[in-house]
Amino acid sequence: MRRSHREDDALGLRVVVVQPPDHGPRIAEGLEVLAGRATLEIVHDARRCLSRCDAGDVDLLVLDARRRAEVQSVLAATARSGGPPAIVIEPEAGDARALAWFRAGAVDCVSAEEAPKRLGTAVAEQLARDRARRTARGGDLGFAGNREVMEQLNSALVVVDLEGRIVYANPPAEQILGAEGSLHGADAGKRFRSGKSEEPLLLRTLRGGERFKGAEALVSRPDGSKAPVGISCAPITSPEGRRTGAVAIFQDLSEATQRRSHALQTEKLASIGQLAAGVAHEINNPMGFIHANLFQLAEYTEDLQRVWRQVEALRHAAEGADPTAVRIAAEALDKASQEADIEFVLGDLAKAIRESQEGSERIRHIVQDLRDFSHQDTGERVFADLNQCLDSTANIVWPMMKHVVSLEKDYAELPPIGCYPMQLKQVFMNLLVNAFQAIEEAVGESGELGTIALSTRIEDEQVVVSIRDSGVGIAQEHLERIFDPFFTTKRVGAGTGLGLSTSFGIVQGHGGTLSVESVPGQGTTFQLRLPLDAEAPAAS
Amino acid sequence: MSAEGTLTLLILDDESRILSALRRSLRREPYEILTAESVVEARRVLDAEAVDLVLSDHKMPGITGLQFLEEVAERHPEAVRMLITGWTETIDPKAVDALGIRAVITKPWEDAALKETLRRAAKEVG
Ligand SMILES: Nc1ncnc2c1ncn2[C@@H]1O[C@H](COP(=O)(O)OP(=O)(O)O)[C@@H](O)[C@H]1O
Ligand SMILES: [Mg+2]
Repeated sequence: MRRSHREDDALGLRVVVVQPPDHGPRIAEGLEVLAGRATLEIVHDARRCLSRCDAGDVDLLVLDARRRAEVQSVLAATARSGGPPAIVIEPEAGDARALAWFRAGAVDCVSAEEAPKRLGTAVAEQLARDRARRTARGGDLGFAGNREVMEQLNSALVVVDLEGRIVYANPPAEQILGAEGSLHGADAGKRFRSGKSEEPLLLRTLRGGERFKGAEALVSRPDGSKAPVGISCAPITSPEGRRTGAVAIFQDLSEATQRRSHALQTEKLASIGQLAAGVAHEINNPMGFIHANLFQLAEYTEDLQRVWRQVEALRHAAEGADPTAVRIAAEALDKASQEADIEFVLGDLAKAIRESQEGSERIRHIVQDLRDFSHQDTGERVFADLNQCLDSTANIVWPMMKHVVSLEKDYAELPPIGCYPMQLKQVFMNLLVNAFQAIEEAVGESGELGTIALSTRIEDEQVVVSIRDSGVGIAQEHLERIFDPFFTTKRVGAGTGLGLSTSFGIVQGHGGTLSVESVPGQGTTFQLRLPLDAEAPAAS
Repeated sequence: MSAEGTLTLLILDDESRILSALRRSLRREPYEILTAESVVEARRVLDAEAVDLVLSDHKMPGITGLQFLEEVAERHPEAVRMLITGWTETIDPKAVDALGIRAVITKPWEDAALKETLRRAAKEVG
């Protein structure tokens, strides 16, 4: 798929809408605001959409997600070949849905309900970004010709001259920068500051020609307030290659971006909840008996003190010479010992302490596993040992599955892999929990054990992690749906249907693949493949 | 009921340390305590002895406490049935009612509350 860019003006922008031929979300209504600025084409299926994209003159796709599979195949194809950006219209509400689309490669997701209202601006925003990218790339300052487009942008855009003075700011930029009157001539350096006390990114672009994409900065307004923005900067150069200024596109981080992060959060919470429930249960049993034992140990101590007082009394009596007093004291000691059941107490005391120690040792172990699991994980991309990621995740989920599962491990030696370890652990956890649940379903109350086999190996310049289970397997007709968000065959409470769609997104984000093979009644194997990194450090 | 008139209590939990701690908590209470670490063992006890009270763990390999108590209700309807669960597990109160379960005790248990619950259940044996 090619994307050539015509050097014509805004009127030539071409938006292709993919929508089943029935009555769907009111897309046309949402796009009315674009009238006169963009041409709309409507096609009804993925195949036609992709062949339309092949022509190379499509600027943006709008995909109606009532047909999930179609939309997924379009996104996958355009992602592979650098096709036009796509906005998805999601029929059902919910952040998780939106997130899944972002993960699949969509640049924005609008709910069907909001489409009549929001779609127009969302499209304008994307077209503007695209155009700004080209303007920045294209070489001539020539923004006069694009002025109309820039005015209509939903994204904020400013152009500065070589001295860092703002020569143009579109309406959203004025809004974010808190303009009172015109921003023309304002000092950009004062308005844009990067997160730290460094030189503003925009000025670095002016000075050194550096480009920034999706960086974070703070905007200072004349009233003293500040706003976080996501900013991209590019130099503007004349046809002779002389730098003449810079352009910045920025977005208020309190809007679109936050929608995305909110959705991500929802999903993370689901898997953290799963993990927490498993760990809490594992800690609760030892807590239960330690708690009860301590209570009894306190009683034993009181019993022993009572007996000891009689021992003291007896010794005291023995110091005098009165045999009657000694006999009475001895009888009192006997009686106290009997009442306290002292023989039992002495025998059980050590046992209660030993068992409690065992319990606290178990809790210590669980905490240690938790620490290994979250080991120095800052959530950033690092070089990590995938065997360790897999193993520490398996340790965490092991207690909850040990009743029905026997675990086999076959790890190959692996070089450090550039990845986001916490995300991969989340994937492993989802796959392990699924495998466990499939086995639980298969063995039922028979008391038999199922098998989960974990293996890692290197094959064709890829790391392959495979998780095989002897569970119920996946019915043929479900195989193609299991990666869909919210697809679940589990009862309410046991399944959210988000595990695999999230995992798929994460693996894709790592440039890898997640595949499945299953024989109903026999079991399932999930395979995760990640590219070996060329820039891996010699030793980590 | 045993010959001397003490009530017989069967406790089922797959965790032996819990059994041991429960025994300890109840050592001065007037029950003859029998324990089982598995459902198979518990069934054997129920077939061999006259059991008045049954206290079962909920989350166990292969079977839940609710399922086991349902079985007890069918085969030994005279036994008073109780459940003990971790507080992390949610139990459907409707199922508890339907099976005529007298009490649900949560782990970790409070000594006094445990004894009181059992005493009340014991009064229903008749
Ligand atoms: N290892 C497996 N064995 C059998 N079925 C599986 C397995 N993994 C996933 N599935 C199927 O895929 C569905 C979706 O999985 P997932 O996205 O993790 O959601 P959830 O586990 O919450 O249902 C499951 O409900 C189940 O039907
Ligand atoms: Mg799952």
